[in-house]
Amino acid sequence: MKVNTEIKKKQEDYKFESPMIELSRKFLKKKVATVSFFFILFLIILAIFQPTPYDISQTDYSNTLSKPSAEHWFGTDEYGRDIFSRIVYGTKLSLTVAIVGVTVGAVIGSILGLIAGYYRGIPEMIIMRTCDVLLAFPGLLLAIGIVAIIGPGLINVVIAIAIYGIPNFTRIIRSSTLAIKELLYVEASQSIGVSDLRLLFKHIFPGTVPALIVSYTMRLGTAIITAASLSFLGFGASPSNPDWGAMLSSGRNYIGIAPHMLFYPGLAIFLTVLGFNLLGDGLRDTLDPKLD
Amino acid sequence: MRKWIALILVMTVLVLTGCSNEDQIALDQSNEPVANSQSSEGNDKSMVIAVNAEIISLDPHNISDTLSRSATNTMYESLLEHNNSMELEECLAERYEISEDGLEYTFYIRQGIEFHDGTALNAEAVKYNFDRVTDEEKNLRRRRNFLQVESTEVIDEYVLKIYLKAPFAPMLDRVASLSIISPKALEEYGDRGIITNPVGTGPYVYKEWVTGDRLVVIKNQNYWRSGPQIETLTIKPILENGARIAMLQTGEADFIYPMPTEQVNIVANDANIEVIEGMSTIARFTFINTSKDFYSDVRVRQAMNYAIDKEAYTNVVRSGYSTPLSSHVPASIKYHVPQPLYEYNLEKAKQLMAEAGYPDGFKTHIWAPNDTENMRGMEFVSQQLAQIGIEAEVIPMEEGTLSNSIYSAQTPEESTVHMWYVSWSAFDFDGATNSLFHSRNIPPTAPNVSYYRNPVADELIDLGSTEVNSIKRAGIYSELQEIIWEDAPWLFLGSDVLLSAKRTTTEGISVGPGGAINSREASTSK
Repeated sequence: MKVNTEIKKKQEDYKFESPMIELSRKFLKKKVATVSFFFILFLIILAIFQPTPYDISQTDYSNTLSKPSAEHWFGTDEYGRDIFSRIVYGTKLSLTVAIVGVTVGAVIGSILGLIAGYYRGIPEMIIMRTCDVLLAFPGLLLAIGIVAIIGPGLINVVIAIAIYGIPNFTRIIRSSTLAIKELLYVEASQSIGVSDLRLLFKHIFPGTVPALIVSYTMRLGTAIITAASLSFLGFGASPSNPDWGAMLSSGRNYIGIAPHMLFYPGLAIFLTVLGFNLLGDGLRDTLDPKLD
Repeated sequence: MRKWIALILVMTVLVLTGCSNEDQIALDQSNEPVANSQSSEGNDKSMVIAVNAEIISLDPHNISDTLSRSATNTMYESLLEHNNSMELEECLAERYEISEDGLEYTFYIRQGIEFHDGTALNAEAVKYNFDRVTDEEKNLRRRRNFLQVESTEVIDEYVLKIYLKAPFAPMLDRVASLSIISPKALEEYGDRGIITNPVGTGPYVYKEWVTGDRLVVIKNQNYWRSGPQIETLTIKPILENGARIAMLQTGEADFIYPMPTEQVNIVANDANIEVIEGMSTIARFTFINTSKDFYSDVRVRQAMNYAIDKEAYTNVVRSGYSTPLSSHVPASIKYHVPQPLYEYNLEKAKQLMAEAGYPDGFKTHIWAPNDTENMRGMEFVSQQLAQIGIEAEVIPMEEGTLSNSIYSAQTPEESTVHMWYVSWSAFDFDGATNSLFHSRNIPPTAPNVSYYRNPVADELIDLGSTEVNSIKRAGIYSELQEIIWEDAPWLFLGSDVLLSAKRTTTEGISVGPGGAINSREASTSK
């Protein structure tokens, strides 16, 4: 009996460690990235549970533009609505718009990138030249152009963000695919007759995931800025929606008398975008073996 | 060595770009008389007016926006003019006579006035202008003001007679809106050329217009009456409110219009700045499309009016600078008769809604242009209507899209607009009523976006516009106002208090009730 347990113990010591745990450990060593990670987790929790002290559309015309106080932590806006509640609700809007937009862009971009990188030839030429055309536009201008064509509104902002994210993902995935395609295990799979579809998604795609994750996280930050900019310019959320960009836009007329109307939405955008970018940096350092 | 070459290259580029800009300005100035340019260089008295929109055109017969009117008014004048209390005064005409039947207007033109190009002002020149604006083929924007003109006739060198097809009460106001252009310049430059070569009789002479950036005019040395005490006047569009105020604070601008209402408190403590309040002919309201099911019931429309807190509207949307609208025309317009206000009464509103069969309200939408002030107003209306269960989605639209969406409907059935938050400004009662309420003026023809069709009102509008006797006219309009107020085809909101602001050194620039800037006697002590 005794011998048996000892052997068991020894087996546990040599237990195989998943790369996930190793990467997590590596990631947690980067303090800034870890803080960003928990901050974004916190934002997601805010977005899901919506702990708003006031109804976001409850107006109070006798208490407009009041400064931050114990009652209204971030003050009130021009209609006497509670800014804190609106910013919390805005978290949901911003995250949803960014996540949905970027995810759609990432999925389409990845598929196109895989096709371009794997098949080369004419499909690659068509896909990559189209991407070049899209990339030639400055990002925000392209988004404005798209919204100008399909009309304003949050859903259309999501579509704009998706479209202008596609070429970036396509490029990144294509270049990863080109490298992975030449690896021995891919050649081996090909030689035993694995189908193209299976090869692409089962063998090549997983190899591109690290690059995808980093780019995805960074893109979320950009997408939040784009969505806020579009709303600021009046192309995005309707003014009654508590979108951060729309709040900034309506607050700018009061900058002299009620600076809190701009400060808090601005801070929210700033911190969120910074969070996503730092997280992206941390992930890149963790996932890219070359940087070790 | 390489560094030096690079540096020299960069310098060359910089110098070249600098030069090319100068060249452009020099070119712009090249058609101006040399004498003037010297005098403007020798004297530092120049002033800058910052405004909130861009000048669209400088052809006074083909503009419809107030700002372009402010701009052309620096260079052009009319036979008659409105003073700041909306009264008519003689300008280029010395006096006038109207025949008994109201069909003949005789104008005696002031003698000895010359256009900026030296052409003499006489009856022939004025007739040339009337002929231009009434020309059906040219169809200039101001033509719709002169549809009643049958013909004009030169009686004497300085006497002009205008014949009307039918008596038309607001004729004098319309004459006051027609700027007189030098016929010689019109011949020389043509209808397009006159836009960038304006020649009138006004207190300033054209210098340059850089679209979107500035209009510069210089003092008319031969002006026929007391004119400006400055050499150069610049009108600059500064669209961003904050930037416009900053220009005034730093002294870069001497006068700004409009002064954003929500920022009055910021400049209140600045000893160098004075905020000027004035009455306006601007009415702010919301069209309610009466051709739509739920809005066809007058009780619903009245309920909506009862649901609006007018005082809160003034404070929230206009920061206190507005007065509640007490008729469909603002109090500054002649023949205005105040009606009993729809007081803020949610109980009554809910009761009316229930009577009309909408105890739980309904879903609808409201449109407005996508600038901050209009969006704020529209959002306020939406918030107020929510109190009686009307869920109005706010839809801000770019101006072009907005007017397209409204005027593309060929019939009332096709119209997709439910409510439109908007403002309207007119000089006279007919201008503030006819195109907004007469049944023949529904889109796509004209902006009766309420699709208001009341035969009694139609008749009164027509009667009022042809009645020359002002007492009878007042009676007709009084009745008309009562009917429109009762029918409530609008949400009656407010009439603006016009806000402009100036440096304390600025004198002689003012804003008329219509929102046009008058800078005839501009002077500065800076």
